[in-house]
Amino acid sequence: MDDDSTPPPPANDAPAPPPPALNSGSPTDFLKGVVGKRVVVRLTSGVDYRGVLSCLDGYMNIALEQTEEHVNGRVINRYGDAFIRGNNVLYISAAEAI
Amino acid sequence: MDTSSAGIQEPFDLIRLSLNERVFVKLRGDRELTGVLHAYDGHMNLIMSAVEETIMVVEPVEGAPHSQGSVNYVKRKMEMLFVRGDGVILVSPPSRT
Repeated sequence: MDDDSTPPPPANDAPAPPPPALNSGSPTDFLKGVVGKRVVVRLTSGVDYRGVLSCLDGYMNIALEQTEEHVNGRVINRYGDAFIRGNNVLYISAAEAI
Repeated sequence: MDTSSAGIQEPFDLIRLSLNERVFVKLRGDRELTGVLHAYDGHMNLIMSAVEETIMVVEPVEGAPHSQGSVNYVKRKMEMLFVRGDGVILVSPPSRT
């Protein structure tokens, strides 16, 4: 057991850093922000889908437009529209400024 | 205010608009289907007809790294098919241009 006189954390007079002005917001805010933007959707299999995010739902099912399917950095397929079942999604990355 | 796509509010709208159309379905296990979509539900269970299934089979080539085997495509046809939703990766409707 530590003794009671545990010193306060090392002297650091600066106040707690404010949250960064950019990059703030919840995951939901991010997702709202990227709707209509170009995104990269990576599946757990490692396949990437690049396209315009037209919408998504609470299961992270995704509707993409102008979709390119990338495997090992190569385009192997294009789809005008694509529905991606949410359970396969690893991440959604913004491919342009939000 | 609508985006370029006509009236898609949620991803399932894309599927709804594809009913009775020929769709492309990518499944787990390197399988693909094309067929006419007749019904679906929230699990993405699908009822399809006039289906052609394409199965990708990688045959190991002796002396080659096992990632570079030759790829064979096995095709088969089915008149009517129920697809369990958890195997579905992607559904692509016919292009709506």
